[in-house]
Parts: sequence; C-alpha cells; structure tokens
Amino acid sequence: MASSAIKSGALVSLQDLHPSSHYFRQGTSLRVTGKLQEYSAQTAIAMVVDGSAKLKVNTEHLRNLNLKLGSFYQFIGELLIQPDNEAVLQARVGRNVDGINLDLYHQSLQLLRQFQADHLKNPTT
Amino acid sequence: MDHHHHLLCNTHVKLLAFDLLSLTQIPSDPISFSRHGTLLSRAETLGLVTSLDLKPGKFLKFVVDDGTGCVDCVLWLNHLTSPYFARRSPSDVRQIAASSNHFASELKLGAVARVRGRITKYRGVVQITVSDVVVERDPNAEILHWLDCVRLARKRYDVLQSE
Repeated sequence: MASSAIKSGALVSLQDLHPSSHYFRQGTSLRVTGKLQEYSAQTAIAMVVDGSAKLKVNTEHLRNLNLKLGSFYQFIGELLIQPDNEAVLQARVGRNVDGINLDLYHQSLQLLRQFQADHLKNPTT
Repeated sequence: MDHHHHLLCNTHVKLLAFDLLSLTQIPSDPISFSRHGTLLSRAETLGLVTSLDLKPGKFLKFVVDDGTGCVDCVLWLNHLTSPYFARRSPSDVRQIAASSNHFASELKLGAVARVRGRITKYRGVVQITVSDVVVERDPNAEILHWLDCVRLARKRYDVLQSE
C-alpha cells in the first residue's frame, strides 16, 4: 500500500549494485552504506566503498552532514545513471554510522528480505 | 461473532513498515486494525527520518523510512489550545505538551527515531499518531529492530492467527 509521497530507500549493499542488478535503474530510491573514501567539498561528490564495491554519492543537499574520510555513512536517495553508465546516488538524507557492525548488517538484510518475501506470499488479511 | 484475537490490543507491537502499512482497519471498530485476524491498536516503528513538516503549535508530521517502507507519523503539538484536552488536569496537559515539544525538537532529517503511538488511518493510509519518540544514537539499533520485528512476527504475532 502506498504511503506518503516520500519513497522508501530500498536497502542494498554496494556489492549488489551492479549494472545487471534490478536496483540499477534510473530514479530508483536506495539506501546504501559504506566507508567514505573520497570527498570533494567543491563538487560535494563523495565516494563510498564496501570491500571492492564503490559508489559515487552527490551530497549537495546534505550540507549539514559533517563528512570525514574513513568514517562510515548511510545515504538515502535516488540513483542517477549517467550516459557513460556510471551511477551516482543523489542523496537526500545521510547519517554517520561509525560503529556499525557491517557483517551483522548484511546478514540481517538477508533475513529481512526472506521474511518480507515469505510475508508477501501470505499477505495480511 | 468476533473471531479476532484481542491479546495484543494494548501492546505497542513492533512492526516493519511494509507489515504496518498492510493492516486492515475494522469498520465496526475504527480504532482497531487487523493483522491476520489479530487486533492491534498501537505500534512501534524505527527508522530514518526522511521528511519533516512542522506547523508550530499545531503538529509535526514526519516520515520514518525503515528500508521496507515509509511510515507517516503525526505528533500533535496543540495540547494547550485544543478543546480535546480542556477537561484534563492543566498540569498533566502542560506535561504532555512539554514532552511533545521535546520530541519535536529532537527529530532531525537523518536521525534514527523509535516511534510509538496509536495506529490510525488518514486519507486511506495507515499512520502512527505519536505518543513518544526516542532518537537512537547506536548505529546498530535499526538492525536490532529488524531482528526483533522478524522474531516477534514469527514466534508471537503469526502464531496467534493459527491458534
């Protein structure tokens, strides 16, 4: 059922965000988590990484968020796929998640997806 | 004859947004919502605040995104002027108003909020009419909330329907 006009950011790990993934679509609302590897204050473009996977994030709307290289962040926004097929998340919300247990996060995400899939097979009445 | 379970009627049930948003309002008892035949009236949600709309002295509407959906929440801020509270003790009303104003001041875009309140419906969409808010500082709080929701649904809430 639809909620407000605000779209929920689908939880996705950076490893799952590759061009053949169903998440890799223009305008898809996503929530990503990763370590800040690069950041340009001039362009507001950040690069977050998780293992070998990486993603550019446009943080121009998050000027109040203090970005520190090496810290972990979570961003919600919409995916912009550029003509060269590079994706940039247009972040509308961000938060620092230093101290997050990423192993627990990824494992819990699998459980959550399984629960949601089971529930959709037997919807609430 | 009423075939619903009432055991969780006054409990703040921990529900994921997609689950909460699929509850069915009971036409004969609009303060109750059915989940697989179990009646609920209160819920707890936790997630990132992704939208804030403040009308000072009236209400704060905000949206909590837990990754499975967005829950609309309304926190009333009109306690000192609303006739609804006129018959209650003025000191109680002042206390409720102060708490609500404190909750409103804590909520920021990107904060992780644990929200409890009554399940209501507005313009066809399930929402929470807020009674209390805690802003979580632990970066793992949301993960633990997901696990709580899944465990409670499987071990408790879903079991009631088969009894």
